[in-house]
Amino acid sequence: MTQGPDSTAGHRTPAVELVGLTKAFGDIVAVDGLTLDISENLFFAIIGPSGCGKTTTLRMIGGFEEPTSGTIRLHGEDVTGTKPYQRPVNTVFQSYALFPHLTIYENVAFGLRRQGVEKSEVDRRVGEMLDLVHLAETSKRKPRQLSGGQRQRVALARALVNHPRLLLLDEPLGALDLKLRKEMQLELKRIQQEVGVTFIHVTHDQEEAMTMADSIAVMRDGKIERMGEPVEIYDDPRSRFVAGFLGASNLMEGQVTGPDGVTLAGGHGFHVTADKLVGLTGTVHVGVRPEKIHLSPEGSSPDHANQLSGVVTDSSFIGVSTHYLVQTRSVGELTVVVQNLGVTRFAPSDSVTLSWDPEHTFVVAR
Amino acid sequence: MRARVFYRTLLGFGIAYLFVPVLVVVVFSFNDFKGRRNVSWEGFTLRHWADPFKLPGLSEAVLNSLTIAFLSALISTIVGTLIALALVRYRFRGRATTNLLLFLPMASPEVVMGSALLTLFVVAQVGRGYMTVLLAHILFNLSYAVVTVRARIVGFDRHLEEAAMDLYANEWQTFRRVTLPMIMPGVLAAFMLAFALSFDDFVITNFNSGSMQTFPVFVYGAAKRGVPPQVNVLGTMIFAVMVIAMGIFLFIQNQRQKAQD
Amino acid sequence: MTTRTDAATRADRRRRRVPYLLLAPGMIWLLLFYVIPMFGLTITSLQEGSLEQGYVFTGNIGSYVSVFTTYLPQLRNSLLFALGATVIGLLVGYPLAYAIAFYTSRWKSLFLLLILVPFLVPFLLRTLAWRVILADQGAVVSALKTVGLLGENGRMLSTGWAILAGLVYNYLAFMTLPIYVSLDKIEPALLEAANDLYATPWTAFRKVTLPMSMPGIISGTLLTFIPAAGDYVNVELLGNRNWTMMGNVIQSKFLVIIDYPAAAAISFTLMAIIVTMVVIYVRRVGTEELLT
Repeated sequence: MTQGPDSTAGHRTPAVELVGLTKAFGDIVAVDGLTLDISENLFFAIIGPSGCGKTTTLRMIGGFEEPTSGTIRLHGEDVTGTKPYQRPVNTVFQSYALFPHLTIYENVAFGLRRQGVEKSEVDRRVGEMLDLVHLAETSKRKPRQLSGGQRQRVALARALVNHPRLLLLDEPLGALDLKLRKEMQLELKRIQQEVGVTFIHVTHDQEEAMTMADSIAVMRDGKIERMGEPVEIYDDPRSRFVAGFLGASNLMEGQVTGPDGVTLAGGHGFHVTADKLVGLTGTVHVGVRPEKIHLSPEGSSPDHANQLSGVVTDSSFIGVSTHYLVQTRSVGELTVVVQNLGVTRFAPSDSVTLSWDPEHTFVVAR
Repeated sequence: MRARVFYRTLLGFGIAYLFVPVLVVVVFSFNDFKGRRNVSWEGFTLRHWADPFKLPGLSEAVLNSLTIAFLSALISTIVGTLIALALVRYRFRGRATTNLLLFLPMASPEVVMGSALLTLFVVAQVGRGYMTVLLAHILFNLSYAVVTVRARIVGFDRHLEEAAMDLYANEWQTFRRVTLPMIMPGVLAAFMLAFALSFDDFVITNFNSGSMQTFPVFVYGAAKRGVPPQVNVLGTMIFAVMVIAMGIFLFIQNQRQKAQD
Repeated sequence: MTTRTDAATRADRRRRRVPYLLLAPGMIWLLLFYVIPMFGLTITSLQEGSLEQGYVFTGNIGSYVSVFTTYLPQLRNSLLFALGATVIGLLVGYPLAYAIAFYTSRWKSLFLLLILVPFLVPFLLRTLAWRVILADQGAVVSALKTVGLLGENGRMLSTGWAILAGLVYNYLAFMTLPIYVSLDKIEPALLEAANDLYATPWTAFRKVTLPMSMPGIISGTLLTFIPAAGDYVNVELLGNRNWTMMGNVIQSKFLVIIDYPAAAAISFTLMAIIVTMVVIYVRRVGTEELLT
């Protein structure tokens, strides 16, 4: 639960090591004994609901908050207690924090100047970076003259131009409209791969994290609840909280009955792959993601092992897909998402059969 | 809308009311009075403007006022800025006391402050004169400076300083390159306010000036015999200079403000 | 249990000292030149003696007794005038502030400036100007006589009205500005919401605007009442010997007659009344609002 997928075990030092990191504000413990290793060259995301401690953790890594206890190591070096300007880390702030009284050029050059880089080198690197983010022609303007999306890219350029080995992003896309946000998500991912720097991205938007990240940590109440690759944690959340946070989960309560089966309250049995039941006994919750459920008219016999019958109570056309709410007799209401591939769409009060494959079932402890 | 008209008229009257005495001061500097007292209009003349410093002690008084105003404004602005920074950016104990202590001089009647300072100087056997007045002015300007600068600091994105530190600027560099430029308008406003308050001050100065005279003290003394027109002339000049200074300041502010929106 | 280095702890301690360093120069100044003198005043008030013989601290409260006996009229005058000036100031200043906050849109700053500019003329000159304006031969008095508000031999100068006029005028900015600041903070959306919820304009004012401008009203009131209570210049220049206030007494006792204990006692009493008012205010509202 605390090792990343690329985690070292000896040969390469992780980019970031957090050991027992704790931050308390008076009585409130925002971050509680966090221990985490993040490898090099990774696009790492930390997600969680408001107040879970993700931003505080990021700020501690950047040096803007002092940990109450614990250690932070960057590339093997202990940096706990050092100031932000002493760390080889740069940050993209949520509000961008561009210096309003400086031109775009000067904003981007700021860090380089403080490090005493000589003029011609500054010029070259700033130019290069502005080209990378496609903002070369704005260099003489002031932040107020740029749009939100442009300011966001300046903030990114300003941070990256210093060639940090670690880049921290604090919900940088929050203020952008949907289309721009989606564009920037891909852009950030591209830049991270091109530049080869470790990115730590904090966001409350799970979709965003799953789009961009190589590895995601889900935080709750100051601790990491689950960590892993997006596909892995989505399909096998291993906790109710994570299941619910990453999307609709259609949880159903039941008892473990055998190495690959769970029986639900109504006596209905489901097949589950054995690896999902490892170490679990007694009462559990079974879940399946809405897009993994197939709908077919009542009475048909689809060839997916897990089946239920129900009645459609709501159907919403979303464009790409249709979202259904189906009321079943034994397990309550399930959400089903079906891609609009031109197949028949169902209407409320239609009777349907829901079916899905055992490997798509996940199990979480009660 | 009727409300709009009503309020605008009200505003017009209010401002007219406020400006009447100003006009009187300015107009009467041109009064060609023949009698003893410069009280009623007798004709237009420029002769007072030709030789405004004719009266003995007047030029010295004005000079004293100007230098004291400048020095006290300078010192109180610098010290006040430090305090404002501490108040807004840091947590510390004794915050409530500090706030109260800063507020009290603004709320104390000048008579009380003046007399209290006088007592101090008498007991300490310090002669009253230029220095004591200067010290007193710094005192009362301090609170106003803090209030003015603080207002400016509060409205300023905290993350800017963090961003600077993130980009390798240490505390001093951050202050010099980011914080100070951003609060400069507030600092300048505080300076101008302090200057005006100091120049204008009468009561506290009167208590603590001994035989030294500042412009207001001079006027007070002369008022008994009827205000000499030279006083009006100088008053008008000072007023004009301050209005122009303020105008310039605001114009620059306006330009800068446009740049930051 | 912590794994912080020594360097980190030392850096931490340095960081915590910063605010105190920043505050030090100013606070020391205030201590030296405000707090200590105030104490000094208290001590002086309890002394006895004269200029020639020197002063001895005897804890004599005789001076205080005389404050409430001999000088009761002045005390009363001060408080009454200050109250009058404050109330009138409020009645004049609030609408002005309201007008600027809500009815001047683009020209807001200009109007604020216009309110402030007259106060760049030195205080004394402004007050003396009123002497000219309210002069017996002046236009104002003549007009009032014509209208019948003033008798044949009526004067404005040397009456309480002149003093009041002077006081209101001189402290108007102190009343208007704080009220403006708190009115300005009210989003127009709030008033729209009130209207949407069936409030008439008057009710909206009473239930939304007025309460929200209360901090400004209180600030303005304090900043007017207090200096007005201690004022003596307006009285001297616009009034006559029949009207004296505490300020005059203090001034004369300190600078003319030189009776320090008596003067100190009076000062202290005035200050005590004021501090009580401020404390009551602070208890209700807290100290953070004071410096806005």
